[in-house]
Amino acid sequence: MCNLPIRVICRANAEYMSPSGKVPFIHVGNQVVSELGPIVQFVKAKGHSLSDGLDEVQKAEMKAYMELVNNMLLTAELYLQWCDDVTVEEITHPRYGSPYPWPLNRILSYQKQWEVRRKMKAIGWAGKTLEQVLEDVDQCCQALSQRLGTQPYFFNKQPTELDALVFGHLFTILTTQLITDELSEKVKNYSNLTAFCRRIEQQYFEGHDKDSCTVSVQSSKKSSLLK
Amino acid sequence: MGVHPPFHDCSPLPLPAGHLPALRTQDEGTISKPQQIITHLRKQKYNADYDLSATQSADTLAFVSLLEEKLLPVLIHTFWVDAKNYVEHTRKWYAETIPFPLNFFLPNAMHKRHLERLQLMWGDDYMEDEEKLEKELYREARECLTLLSQRLGSQKFFFGDSPASLDALVFSRLAPLLKAKLPNGKLQQHLKSLQNLCNYCTSILSLYFPWDRGDPLTGAPRAAGTDGSEAEEDPHKRRKQLLSVLVGLAAMLGYAFLSGIVSIQRGSVGPAGRQPVTLEEEEEEEEE
Repeated sequence: MCNLPIRVICRANAEYMSPSGKVPFIHVGNQVVSELGPIVQFVKAKGHSLSDGLDEVQKAEMKAYMELVNNMLLTAELYLQWCDDVTVEEITHPRYGSPYPWPLNRILSYQKQWEVRRKMKAIGWAGKTLEQVLEDVDQCCQALSQRLGTQPYFFNKQPTELDALVFGHLFTILTTQLITDELSEKVKNYSNLTAFCRRIEQQYFEGHDKDSCTVSVQSSKKSSLLK
Repeated sequence: MGVHPPFHDCSPLPLPAGHLPALRTQDEGTISKPQQIITHLRKQKYNADYDLSATQSADTLAFVSLLEEKLLPVLIHTFWVDAKNYVEHTRKWYAETIPFPLNFFLPNAMHKRHLERLQLMWGDDYMEDEEKLEKELYREARECLTLLSQRLGSQKFFFGDSPASLDALVFSRLAPLLKAKLPNGKLQQHLKSLQNLCNYCTSILSLYFPWDRGDPLTGAPRAAGTDGSEAEEDPHKRRKQLLSVLVGLAAMLGYAFLSGIVSIQRGSVGPAGRQPVTLEEEEEEEEE
């Protein structure tokens, strides 16, 4: 969105390469910066920013909505991948362990699962049922949909970091195949959100190779492009 | 806001698992999770968000997330994990308010629980590196306070002239930070520099908590000092007295048995007790 030249590379050990253990991260010259917040700060320090045109109140709202997405959508995605037993067995374990030989694939994926479950317990999500999690996703999508309204972007004519973050999550939810379609159905209920995703995809990602990976905020898994 | 349940002392007994806040209701017992309390009040037709538009409700959700993600963990750190604040302020404050004998265990248990939670949320990196913690996490918390101040502007409440649930949440997070006498108050200094937030907290305090003039956090000891209303304010007084007496008695008996002052001899006492009775019976028989 800033029109900076980038190359997206998928690596199985992306989490280990990252200085904070989290993806996404960028490698610029001899610097490595991870996580969305620091990346935005880094790019801003180099003179590129998407939110310069916003006033103070709008900036506050943007930050708040970004936290909402991190709090609800990201956590729901992690929950579904690592705490829903059916999904874990059939999709997550095979996918997470696919680059490694046996028994490393099982060991690493169990380790990751344990780590994620501990974190869920710390923030109080371990006791939630799948229905409650989907309800939270629905609430979050409703809030985003109401905020977006009929505008092309969240803060009217120009995209901001919030648009990028929301696109990243919603696109991943819409295009990743899981056991059931319940999660993507929640997003599809809001037509302005799906239109928003399509618009950004057409504007910023058409013309790239069909096999290239899109940047996802929580893991290094591959996702297929929206047909 | 507008619901006025009577507020008494803040003892965590007999609350579920010792959690605050808690609402004691007539029909459903005691409810302790904030979300459940809000749901219960809404069922009773108390809804602070009734007049909000769809966008304002969405904004509420977003700001709640901001508070819970950026501000709350740092507040927990300030009150419960920062060594100076915990030892000199928080532990003392809770120990004075919680009844005996829990005041010896509960503050430490809460401290451990909070520490564990922060360790899981932040990872060991931040917990061990004070400078990194200060630089990044406290900076984000200060930024969060500034954002709240910018959003509030010069309005009376976040969404105009009447308060909503967001105001209740923001007040509940900011008021302790503003009023507590913390020895290590970096975050507090920043809050005090945001004049509109300070005025906001003070006006809510005077509107909705008028009985706590001055420092609301010394409420419990002051209440205990007023005569005549002690019985009304402390419905557990009888139970506390009984508990103290029982514990004292148990301690004395335990010491007595352990040191051998008193001992139970099952073999000799039984038959000896019965002997006088049998002698009397024989005498009666002889008489007859």
